[in-house]
Amino acid sequence: MEAHRVKDEELHAYADGQLEGTRRIAVERHLAEDPEAARKVEDYRAQAALLHEMFDPVLREDPGPEVNELATRLKGRLAGNDNRPAWHARPLTRIAATVVLVVGAAAGGYFGRGVTAPPQQRQTLQTFANEATQAHRFYTSDERYQVEMGAEDPGALDNFLSQRVGKSIFGPDLSKAGYRLIGGRSLPTDTGAGAQYMYINDQGKRITLFVGPPPAGKETSFSFAQQGDIATFYWVEGQLAYALIGRLSKDELMGITKAVYDDVKAGPKPREQHQQPPQQQPNPEERKPDQAQQPDQQNGVQPVSDNHHKPKDS
Amino acid sequence: MSSFGAELEVHIASLRRYARALLRNRADAEDLVQEALARAIARADSFQTGTNMRAWLFTILHNVHVNQVRSRASRPDEVTVESVENRLTTPARQEERVEVREMMRALDELPDEQRQVLLLVALEGLKYEEVAEMIGVPIGTVMSRLSRGREAVRAKLANGASVALRRVK
Repeated sequence: MEAHRVKDEELHAYADGQLEGTRRIAVERHLAEDPEAARKVEDYRAQAALLHEMFDPVLREDPGPEVNELATRLKGRLAGNDNRPAWHARPLTRIAATVVLVVGAAAGGYFGRGVTAPPQQRQTLQTFANEATQAHRFYTSDERYQVEMGAEDPGALDNFLSQRVGKSIFGPDLSKAGYRLIGGRSLPTDTGAGAQYMYINDQGKRITLFVGPPPAGKETSFSFAQQGDIATFYWVEGQLAYALIGRLSKDELMGITKAVYDDVKAGPKPREQHQQPPQQQPNPEERKPDQAQQPDQQNGVQPVSDNHHKPKDS
Repeated sequence: MSSFGAELEVHIASLRRYARALLRNRADAEDLVQEALARAIARADSFQTGTNMRAWLFTILHNVHVNQVRSRASRPDEVTVESVENRLTTPARQEERVEVREMMRALDELPDEQRQVLLLVALEGLKYEEVAEMIGVPIGTVMSRLSRGREAVRAKLANGASVALRRVK
């Protein structure tokens, strides 16, 4: 009974997507049984949606000459502050790092490799997801500047963004989920350049996929975050971190996340070939081996039903 | 262009939105943002690369706001709901007017400290810990201000507006 009890502040944390793990499940169970609590959560989220509706138009306004000038000056000051010196070269952190290294060296005998990570590695994947969510908020609210480059030529867009990010990336095909790619932009993150792909559906709803260098470099499974009415799934796959963001329910976004994940795993496809039934292809040998449904494979010994089984890592 | 260019633009847009919602008056909001940016320029050295730039900027803006409130304590704002609505750029449809007006009134009537927390969390999507650190109170205080603020807004919107509210996407 007592363990079942959900505190008021947990309802808020749930509504704000700031509740993790078992308590989230406990709250979900509680909401299923307590319509009054469920209404509260729904109202809290509706408040957030209304606030966005009322004040997001500010994002679209021209900030005006004074703010623009101040912004330029601040950029200059921060850039002067930043020139991206390695973390160990900045005076203050150098002292801190020295201490860490000394302590690390002293502790090394006892604790082996348990040396404190340098500041840049402390950057968490959550920060990446936050940045991606902020970028989503900002660029989906402003139709004039929503993309830096359109998706009229998806190959050119992929090349452009791959160059910025420094790794080969591509915008997955989400047409099955009802979303088409409209373009993308490159954006800075604290761990390097990232890329934002933007998609839109027939109702004009936008979702974005943010791709960037992962903060720590190890692969993770899906994490979910809810900020107000914006839902985000994020994960690390291979050498890149991904965040898929939209004003959608968790379930809706989860479905699209799976489509993105599968597409990313499968790797880029030649875009010209969509919806071509195999019979109409005059030269089957021209097709990519991993896409072709080769007849001799079908009566092979192995009952492989899945043709995007790829031995290579992707 | 520096690597901060686009990131900073995003954060400044957030600051402007927050200031507008907090003060519900365009001129005051722009003043607040400008003063915060000027302060940020003066204190740019205190920003550490790799740390949370948004939290840094919001903290500065919060401090400027607190100082402004203190110095203006003797002359409270006299802004009518109608004049605020006219400043909204939302091309609101008829059915939305009621909700917007109710929310605007609800925000007006909230104590400043509850309004801050509600907007930082619900509009700007900040973490409770970030808000606690920013305004310099324990997290329990953040939670109780949030809870009281939300329930007060809920009570205001309950009179007929809540049904329509659920249709907001």
